[in-house]
Amino acid sequence: MDEAGPGTAAGDVDAADKPVVLEVSHLTKIFDDSQIPGADGMGNRVIVDLSLQVRKNDFLCILGPSGCGKTTLLRCIGGFENFEGKIRINGIERRTPGTDRIMVFQDYNQLFPWKTVEKNIQYGLKLKGIRDKEELRRLSDHALETVGLSGYQKYYPHQLSGGMKQRVAIAKALALKPEIILMDEPFAALDAITRNTLQQELLRISADQDWDCTIIFITHNIQEAIVLGTRIMVMEKGGTIAVNEKNPIRRPVTPASEGYGAYWNKLHAALYRA
Amino acid sequence: MKKSFRESKSCDILVKVLFLVLVAIIWEITAKAHVFGERSEIVFPTIEAIGAAFVRNFTKGYAGTGLALYTLNSMNLLLRGLLIGIGLAFAFSGLSMISRTFSNVYNLCVTIFDLLPGVALLPVVIVIFGVKPGVIVFLVVHSVIWPMSRSVLDGFKAAPKIYVEAGKNLGLNGPGLLFGVYVPAAAAYIVSGLKVGWARAWRGLIAAEMVFGIASCPGIGLYINQMRTNMKNAEMYATLIVIIIIGLVVQYGILNPIEKMTVRRWGMVSAA
Repeated sequence: MDEAGPGTAAGDVDAADKPVVLEVSHLTKIFDDSQIPGADGMGNRVIVDLSLQVRKNDFLCILGPSGCGKTTLLRCIGGFENFEGKIRINGIERRTPGTDRIMVFQDYNQLFPWKTVEKNIQYGLKLKGIRDKEELRRLSDHALETVGLSGYQKYYPHQLSGGMKQRVAIAKALALKPEIILMDEPFAALDAITRNTLQQELLRISADQDWDCTIIFITHNIQEAIVLGTRIMVMEKGGTIAVNEKNPIRRPVTPASEGYGAYWNKLHAALYRA
Repeated sequence: MKKSFRESKSCDILVKVLFLVLVAIIWEITAKAHVFGERSEIVFPTIEAIGAAFVRNFTKGYAGTGLALYTLNSMNLLLRGLLIGIGLAFAFSGLSMISRTFSNVYNLCVTIFDLLPGVALLPVVIVIFGVKPGVIVFLVVHSVIWPMSRSVLDGFKAAPKIYVEAGKNLGLNGPGLLFGVYVPAAAAYIVSGLKVGWARAWRGLIAAEMVFGIASCPGIGLYINQMRTNMKNAEMYATLIVIIIIGLVVQYGILNPIEKMTVRRWGMVSAA
């Protein structure tokens, strides 16, 4: 695939002057554990008093051990969970799901099997009020072209491979032009080769001025985080933030990049401290 | 790679045809052997006799009315009952998704009434409402609504959480989410519910017509009973064939295409 694109990545630009898109303040999420034998009945405190800012065009990769609350954090931002605290998108408080925050799930069976690839992408656009058929087709074609699936408009999801389904899910998210795209380990269920290809494509898309994306991307994979992220965050158990900083490695990142080994070790240490 | 004949579709059809021919031959030998005593040809008529009776059913019929009219009457009641039953099943199942209280009550109703044969309910209904075609429609509604509701409710419950969340993410909620996500996600269950519902309704209809045949709206069930009381056994058998043919037409002409156009096309495994 095209690997020349990410040369002028957003990582090279200091994003500190860009506007804040997402602001999470004092987020606390406690799951009810009163039904679980052996639990203290105080609730499972997954996230306690977490605050976070994401700026326009950030590509924030969140690393963390299983059960540290990173998926819960993303689900709270997406509006799929009740929570304490405040989540604001461009300064407006959000508590329920909406098209300003589009989620790309890990499970690649997230497309509606009863709709073709094209209709899956257009459905959200229709619900947003776009009625013109030509316009809908133009938008879905453009999104499909971006993810390298031109010509697959009329396919049903079950006729596609796992990697292709994730591409469609990304195209669907892009077409809606959300303020922020929330990705929960979208490539974790894919084989290593497909995963690498999709990483490179996502990198290219995220650096594309046309799409103007802001992304939060959850992963278990340190290499993936360093390759993709403009910012990198490490969460510890209990939902506290151990690391939250600009990715110091210049794009395009390969294992041969200057400082890669040292940075990988630093993140690895932070990840396994808990 | 070319499939061998034994794996081909034409082989499947050939096997079925051969089986039917075999049954016909055994039938014919049994009929010709007079195994049921002197009057055996009346109790167990030959295929020629049944064939002739099949034609007579439509040309002469009973008391000047051909079987076609009886069939039309039955189908008319059946169709009305099916539409009302399916409509109500969707409406009540949908309400169950919105209200927890309604869901509790409705689930209880489905469990209770699904176990109650319609014919057993019919005397009560007749005592209250009298004998009229509406009573048969009521019975068809009763036969279809409970199994259909069970399927739809199970289908809604089994709708993958990820589809529901993806739908909410696009801003769907309430009825939009119900029709935009839950109904198509339950398609496999709905199709299997239609199959069960249709079969129950068809059987229920024939049973009700046989037990409480209504002269003002004579149907196939009544016809079969009239043939029996008039010792026209060949006509009786021929009417059974009509009932089977109608069943097959609905199965292959309506239900299977619906399945092919929906769950099979979408790669969703049928729940049945």
